[in-house]
Amino acid sequence: MVDATNGADFSRVDVASITKTFKLQDRIFFFMTLASAALVVLMLLAILVVLVIDALPTFQTFGLSFLWGTVWSAPTDHYGAVPAVLGTLISSLIAMLIAVPLSFGIAIFLTELCPGSLRRPIGTAIELLAGVPSIIYGIVGLFVLVPLMQLYILPFLIATIGQVPVIGYLFQPPAPGVGLLTASLVLAIMVLPFITAITRDVFLTVPPMLRESAYGMGMTTWEVARNILIPYTRRGLVGGVMLGLGRALGETMAVTFVVGSVTRLQASIISPSTTISAQIANTFGEADGLQLSSLIALGLLLFILSFCVLALAKWMIGRSDSF
Amino acid sequence: MEDTIRQNIMSRRYGRNRLMMTLSVVAAGLGMFFLAVILGTLLYHGISSLSLDVFTMSIPAEGSRGGLLNAIYGTAMVTFFAILIAAPIGILAGTYLIEYANGSKLAEAAKFINDILLSAPSIIIGVFVYGAIVVPMRGNSAIAGIAALALIALPVVNRTTQDMLLLVPNALREATAALGAPRWKSMTHVIYRSAWTGILTGILLAVARISGETAPLLFTAGYSKFMNAGFTGPIATLPVAINTLAADPGEDLKRLAWAGALIITVAILAINILARLMGGRRQ
Repeated sequence: MVDATNGADFSRVDVASITKTFKLQDRIFFFMTLASAALVVLMLLAILVVLVIDALPTFQTFGLSFLWGTVWSAPTDHYGAVPAVLGTLISSLIAMLIAVPLSFGIAIFLTELCPGSLRRPIGTAIELLAGVPSIIYGIVGLFVLVPLMQLYILPFLIATIGQVPVIGYLFQPPAPGVGLLTASLVLAIMVLPFITAITRDVFLTVPPMLRESAYGMGMTTWEVARNILIPYTRRGLVGGVMLGLGRALGETMAVTFVVGSVTRLQASIISPSTTISAQIANTFGEADGLQLSSLIALGLLLFILSFCVLALAKWMIGRSDSF
Repeated sequence: MEDTIRQNIMSRRYGRNRLMMTLSVVAAGLGMFFLAVILGTLLYHGISSLSLDVFTMSIPAEGSRGGLLNAIYGTAMVTFFAILIAAPIGILAGTYLIEYANGSKLAEAAKFINDILLSAPSIIIGVFVYGAIVVPMRGNSAIAGIAALALIALPVVNRTTQDMLLLVPNALREATAALGAPRWKSMTHVIYRSAWTGILTGILLAVARISGETAPLLFTAGYSKFMNAGFTGPIATLPVAINTLAADPGEDLKRLAWAGALIITVAILAINILARLMGGRRQ
C-alpha cells in the first residue's frame, strides 16, 4: 500500500486482487468473531444440557418431590433438596442483613464524610478485600472466627436470645462454633466490599448540583443521604444488592469450612448445617449413582436460583435512570 | 415558645445526624478491621511457615520435609493455559458483539448469556466440567482443570472487551474505513491498540480471579502430592492444596496450608494492584 501511494506507477497495482484478498481476510475475521461469540452461547447451553441429563435419574426416582423432600440420607439412598436449599437461602439472607447496612454506611462515609486524601486509600483497600480468594475467607473463618463463636458469642446468644419464646428456637444448642450463623458472618464479610464498591459508584452518579442544593437548604449529611442519595439511586442500589446476593448464594469455599456440613432440617441457625454448594463440595468426590445425580440436581437448582437473582438485578439496573 | 420548638427540632436533627454519621464511620472502621484481621492472620501464620523448602519440594507426608512446589507449578500451569484459551476467544467474542452485531436482539441476548456465565456459581462450572470431561476421561486431569478455569475466565474477558471497545471513539473506525483499510486491519491495527490497556487490565483481573479459584478445581484438576508436569494426570493447585492441607490433623501440613494461603493471596493482590495501576494510567 505504501509503495502504491508513493510510487508513480499505479498500473502495477492489481486493485481487484487486493480487494479480493481483503474481502477474504475480512470474512475470515468476521467468522472468527462470530464463532467465538457463538461458543460463549453454546457453553451455557452445554452446561444446562449436562446438568439436566446428569440430574435426570434423581427426578425419575423422586419426581418433583425431590424439591420438597426434607430428608437427605445416603444410607437409605433417599434425597430431598430442602435442607441444603434452605441453608443456602437462610445463610445468604442473614449475610445480606449484615452486609447491606454496613456497605451503605461505608459508601456514605466514602462519598460524604471521608477527607479527600483518605478516600482513595480506603476505597482501594476495600476493593482489595474483594480480590482475596474465597478459600482464604474460609480458613481465616475456620481458625479465627469459629473459636470466637464457640467460646464467647454463641454461648452468649443461647443464654440471652435463646431463652426468649419463639425466637429462642433459632438459637438452640448444639453450638460447636461451626454453623449457619458463622457461615453467614463469613459471607457477609465476603460480599461487603463487593456491595460497597457498587454503592459508592452509584452514589457518585448523583449530580453534585442536587447534592449541593440539599446541603444549601440546610440538610444534615444524614438527611442528604437518606432523602437525596438513596432515593435517587435506589434502583442501582437494589441491583447492586442483588448482585451481592447472587455471590452469596453461590459461594462455596468460604462456607464449606465453617458451616459444619450436617444435612438435617433444623430450626437452630447456630447449629451445624449445610448449603447447596457446601453439600456439593463435601460429598461430590465420594458420591456415585443416585447420590451423585441428586447433588447435580442441587447444582441445577443453585444455577436457576442465581440466574433468577441476576435477571432481577439486571431488570432493576436496566430500569434505573441513574445507573 | 417557637424558639424552643425550633431548637428541639434542630437538636433532634443534629443528634440523629451525629448518630448516623458515627455509625457510618464505625462501618468503615469495621471494613478496615476485617481487612487487617485477614491480612494479619495470614502474615502471622504464613510468614512463620515460609521456608525455602516451600518453593523447592513437593507436598510431603506428615512428619517429613516438603513444600508446595507441585501445587505452585500446578496453579501457574493451569492458570496459564486457561487464560491462553479464554483470552483470544473472549476478545473475539466481545469484538463480534460490539463491532458487528451491536444493538441487534441477538447480540443483546448473547450479552445477557455472557453475564449469566459471569455470575454463575463457580462450583457449577466444576460440576459441568466433571460431567463433560472428567467422566469421559475416567479421572481428574490438568486438562479438566484448564477447561473449568477457561470457562470462568472467558465471560470476564468477553465483558471487559465489550466495555473497552465501547469506549473507542467512532471517529477512529470511520477514519480507518476512509483510508480504505479492511475491517480486520482496522481492528488489529487501530481499534485494539486504542483499547489495549483496558483489555489487558481485564485479562489480568481474570488471571487474579481464576488463580484463586478452589471450588471448580476440586473435582476437575483434583489433587496430587507429586509433581506432575503433564496434562492428563491429576494435578495439585495451591487453593486445592490449601483446602486439603488445612483439613489435615497434622500440624506441619496445616503450617504448609498457611504458607500456601499467604503465597496465593500476596500473588493475587499483586496482580490486582498491577491491573489497577495499568487501568489508572489510561485515564
